[in-house]
Amino acid sequence: MMQKELTISIFEVVGSPLCVASSDGQKIYDRLAAALKEGQSTILSFHNVSTLTSAFLNAAIGQLYDKFSEEQIRALLKVKDMEPDDLALLKRVVETAKQYFRDPQKFNQAVREELGDDGNGE
Amino acid sequence: MKFIFPDIRHDQSGFQALVRLENEASSYFLDDVEIDMNATTWFDADMCAAFGAILYRLSDNLNTIRLTNICSSVEKILSKNGFLSHYGREKIPDRWGTTIPYRRFDVKDDRYFADYIENELIHRAEMPAMSHGLLKKFRESIFEIFSNAVLHSNSELGIFSCGQFFPNRQRLDFSVADLGVGMRQNIQDNTGLILSAEDAIHWSTEGRNTTKRGPIPGGLGLKLLREFIDLNGGCIQIVSDAGYWRRENKKTITAPLNYPFPGTVVTVEINTADTNSYKLVSEPSAANIF
Repeated sequence: MMQKELTISIFEVVGSPLCVASSDGQKIYDRLAAALKEGQSTILSFHNVSTLTSAFLNAAIGQLYDKFSEEQIRALLKVKDMEPDDLALLKRVVETAKQYFRDPQKFNQAVREELGDDGNGE
Repeated sequence: MKFIFPDIRHDQSGFQALVRLENEASSYFLDDVEIDMNATTWFDADMCAAFGAILYRLSDNLNTIRLTNICSSVEKILSKNGFLSHYGREKIPDRWGTTIPYRRFDVKDDRYFADYIENELIHRAEMPAMSHGLLKKFRESIFEIFSNAVLHSNSELGIFSCGQFFPNRQRLDFSVADLGVGMRQNIQDNTGLILSAEDAIHWSTEGRNTTKRGPIPGGLGLKLLREFIDLNGGCIQIVSDAGYWRRENKKTITAPLNYPFPGTVVTVEINTADTNSYKLVSEPSAANIF
């Protein structure tokens, strides 16, 4: 029988309060993706995590937007035990990932246009 | 081969001197390379990261490196931070605890790097009392720099780091150097954009730009670092290929170097007296993240 809610402890998976490496983020992603694929409601706990990087969060959560829709992720995934500035970082990672996967070609085009405004490529 | 080495300061002139050495020595193989430091009366310790990277590449070409005629003050600082231990000298104790040791890491050494930062920087008794918010941002920034080198450089020869704390000036300098492809080439390979070396650095620190391809998004690390330094009142310098980029007081300057650095160096100067709380004006809700 499927659990009502699955809690994944980042500290337990990574084994350290320093969640900084993309390779450690991948371990979280593997578990999250497996749970979401089964339609399992999942809580990701940041309890005892002291340091996060965008590289870790991109691998752990950002890449979910490649395989799952925003609606699926919103319906199934929750985070808890995060400090406000870590939540703000996660929000930026999520927004960047949505743009990145919504239309990679468009994303690249936007990047080129941005450069055209203040860059002077040779 | 003998090189006369000048003063090495934590600025454009210091990088210029290092890339000159790299340019002159890069083709050497099975040579004896003497770096005569008689004229080097000043060496900013964090520049050991970039200097060490260049010397490591030289020794990878099976050259023998000798550092000679080092004046006592420079020898003292480079012995305290362990740099000269790589070149036949003994490490000497750092009585005032102001050095952050010189180290080389492989790209898979994330955990080892994290331990180094915790033990040699964050939990050192000699470190200045920084606010909780500043310490957290500072620590995150250092890890963003390392992650950036791991993710983007494809450096096979490793990643080099070193730092120095200046209690009186209330500044902490920290540098990370890699021997990877460099930003200009990385951008060209991944996006097709052909940029000058200094424009490539500028591009990497702006807006949504990223060279990441495939399933894992990216492109935030250097922007976060830049935002932090703008608030903190410190300084960032980036050297990649033949480009030099510096940001201080929310102003950016770029310049070409005479020769390329064989990878990327990111160096930060942190204002340790910063009293910003780093509390957010509006705090996001956990229910509204995805």
